[in-house]
This record gives sequence, C-alpha cells and structure tokens, in this order.
Amino acid sequence: MKIIGALIIIFSLTMIGFQAASMFSNRPKEIRRIIIGLQVLETEICYGSTALPQALLHVAKRVRGNVGELFYLASGFLTHYDGLSTSDCWEMAIDKMWGKTVMKKPEKEILLHLGKILGQSDRSDQQKHIRLAVINLQSEEEEARNDQKKYEKMCKSLGFLGGILAVILIY
Amino acid sequence: MDTQLIAILPGPIRHLLQGVAPNIQNQLEEIRIRREQPIELILGQGSRFVCSNGELTSHPAKGWKVNSLEMDKMTNLISQHSLYALEEELKRGYVTITGGHRIGISGKAILEKGEVRAIRDISSFNIRIAREMKGVALPIIPYLLGQKKFLNTLIISPPQCGKTTLLRDLARTVSYGNVHMAGKKVAIVDERSEIAGSVGGIPQRDVGPRTDVLDACPKAEGIMMLIRSMSPEVIVCDEIGRPEDVVAIQEALNAGVSLITSVHGSNLADINRRPTIRQMIGQGMFHRYILLGRSKGVGTVEGIYGENFQSLEKVESL
Repeated sequence: MKIIGALIIIFSLTMIGFQAASMFSNRPKEIRRIIIGLQVLETEICYGSTALPQALLHVAKRVRGNVGELFYLASGFLTHYDGLSTSDCWEMAIDKMWGKTVMKKPEKEILLHLGKILGQSDRSDQQKHIRLAVINLQSEEEEARNDQKKYEKMCKSLGFLGGILAVILIY
Repeated sequence: MDTQLIAILPGPIRHLLQGVAPNIQNQLEEIRIRREQPIELILGQGSRFVCSNGELTSHPAKGWKVNSLEMDKMTNLISQHSLYALEEELKRGYVTITGGHRIGISGKAILEKGEVRAIRDISSFNIRIAREMKGVALPIIPYLLGQKKFLNTLIISPPQCGKTTLLRDLARTVSYGNVHMAGKKVAIVDERSEIAGSVGGIPQRDVGPRTDVLDACPKAEGIMMLIRSMSPEVIVCDEIGRPEDVVAIQEALNAGVSLITSVHGSNLADINRRPTIRQMIGQGMFHRYILLGRSKGVGTVEGIYGENFQSLEKVESL
C-alpha cells in the first residue's frame, strides 16, 4: 500500500514538473506562430491589398493551434460587430484567447500596440508597423528560448526530485 | 433599401432609415451623413432631414444628429477595417460599394508633394443611390441608328437627371441587341466606376453580355487601350471635356468605333460655351445629341437633335 502511495506522489509531482517545462517549451513555439502569422498578414495587406477580415481569415488557415484561433476570432469580430473599432475587436480576440496560450505580457503588449494601427493607414505604414512588431516579437522569442534552455530540464528534474523528497519526508 | 446599402450603415443609422416610410425609401436619390449634423435625404422633390422617429422634417434642428462614433463605425464598415485597401479611392474621394452605389467622402485632405494622398478625419459621406432603369434607352435607340452603324451620341444633362442611368441602359441595350438592331460589342471606360459600378473588377450592374468594362481608367487612355485590345464596336464613357479626350475620341472615330458619351450642361448653348466640346462639335464628331432634364421627373428626354442641332421627333417622357 505504502509503495503504491509513494509511486502516485512521485508520478504526480513529475507530471507537474513536465507541465511547467512544457510552458517553457511552448512559449517560443507560439511566438514563432504569431510571427509567421504576422508575416502572412503583411503579404496579404501589402501585396494583396486584401481587406482585414479576409486577410486575418487567410492567416488563421496558415497558423496552427491557439494562435490560429486568435486570428480567426479577430476576423469574426471584425465582420460581426457592426463597425466596432478595429483595435477593440483585436483586443477582444486577444483577451479571449490569451488564457489558453502560454505567452506572457510583453508579447501581449506588442500585439495590442499593433492592433491600434492595424487597418488604419496606408500600405507602407502598415508594413512598417507589422515589421516592427515582428522584430519585437523576435527578441521576445530569443528570450523565451533562453528561458527554455535554462528552465525546461530543471523543471522536469525538479518535479521528479520533488516527488522523491515528498515521499522521503512523509515516511 | 438595398441590403448592400444597409450593410455599410452602423446600427443606429440603419434603424433610423429603416423607420422611414417605404415609399420615401424608394424615391431616395442621396443619403447625406455628416458629423454632428442631422441625416439629410435627397428626394425627387427636394431635401429633408430625418427625425429620431423616422419622420421627415425640413427643420435641421429637429433632425436626429449623427455623432462621431457613428461616423467612425461607418468608416470601418465601408472600408472593412482596411483603409489601406482604399488608398486609390481615398485619393479620388469616393468609394464604390457592392451594389454599385457610390459613396462620396469628404474630410481632411492629406497632401504629399502638392497632391492629395488620402482623406483623413472623415466628416461627411454622400451615398448616391444607384438605380437601374432597365428599358429606358429602348425608345430612343431608333434615333441613334444610322445605316448599319450606331451614331456617335452625346448626352447633355444637368447633374442628377439620369445621365449615367441612360448611358448604362444604352450600353446594355446595345450589348444585348434589341428589336431595332443586333447586339454589338460594347466597351465601357468607367473612369468613376459609375456606369458599371464595378467592385473588385466585377460590374455590379447589368451592362450586357457583350460588354467589356475598363474600370477606374482615365478616359483618354482607356479609349486608346480598348481600341487596341478589345476591338469594340461601340465605346461608352461619361463626362468628357478634357483636352486629351478630344484626341482619344478622334482616334476612336478614325478607327470606325461608335461612341456614346455624356457631358454636363442644361442646354445646347451651355455646352457650346465649353472650348473642348465646341471644338468636338465643330469637327462634327457627334451625330446625335440627347438633352435630358427633369421637367417630367428625373430622366425626361427633353429632345433629340441631329448633327446640325435640328430637332428630331421628340420622344415622350421615359
């Protein structure tokens, strides 16, 4: 009986460790997806002159996971909310999806800032702002990768070792 | 009201206009929406403002005022949140929406090297409601036919008298063919996207099965391009008057292409005062002149004249 209990404790703490580790490994992935999405958006806007809702829909099809969903939601809000300002629609989509992603505050700030300009100026201006956002996101991605290197393994082993420690302390 | 038109109106304005009596809605020629001003409706018999209960008034203070938020929403709806996609349109000052309606825009002009680059801080919209009047051209077709050839025709009309509507219907009637003639190849140079009302290159109006539309192209250049590329039998364009138009039209006539076009003016003397038009008339470029007015309602044909301004038999109201 004791052994089974000990195994359960070790297993669950290990899982928690893995979970924490996956946060570190998913963040750069998601930032990468946002970057890809914005690059697609730039092409759509600057070369295709596609209307924003349509362009975001195209982006949503190209980007996987929660990030794709975010673009999809934004596109939907733009079409259905009776002319509600672009930045409000964008913000709503971000607020709705942010909890489901593992991205952090700096990325959110970059995206919110971009939302204020999206669709509101001519093509060259849009391009400048999207590129700026991409550059900023790239530096965040860099940082996220460093964090990943530092903490991912640590979280995993910490979980396992923590489990063992708990078992030792209990007995 | 047209569903496409409704789609670009923000909620409160939409409800207000849908509350206007249906027979008035059908007479609408223009809807003018201005920041912090009541909505003005231009009807056949004059201008009225809309009250908050949907009734019409001629007293501006009683009208329901449009606030800034609604104007911004409307900008978003018209541009689909994408001002960058309307760069060219904002330079010209109007947008054509699906359904062929045209929305004039005015606000603060942004200049670059002395040329208008865009309009910002939009303060008024003028929605010109496009009407299709199928069949209005048919009664006058017999007057415009020469021996096997369509005669070069100039439509003279004051603004808002159905000039574009008649041009469009002539294009359609000639393109489909009718009891008086077989269908011909028609090409439209639609500089202001009014005749065919193209959106994304697709004509929103029925302009006929044998019609090619060159959208948003300057007339003079467009006429030359079409002669070279599309071998049309009839070219339709509106509002000629610039010096370069004369050369292009001359070229078209030399190529044996017939031309239907229009000019602003309320009578024959009016257009004779304009140097470029006088020059064209002097050279005998046109064989028929159609004078439009609104003596019996919009689009009344006041008279059809031959080469030497001799009146041909008058056609009753359209």
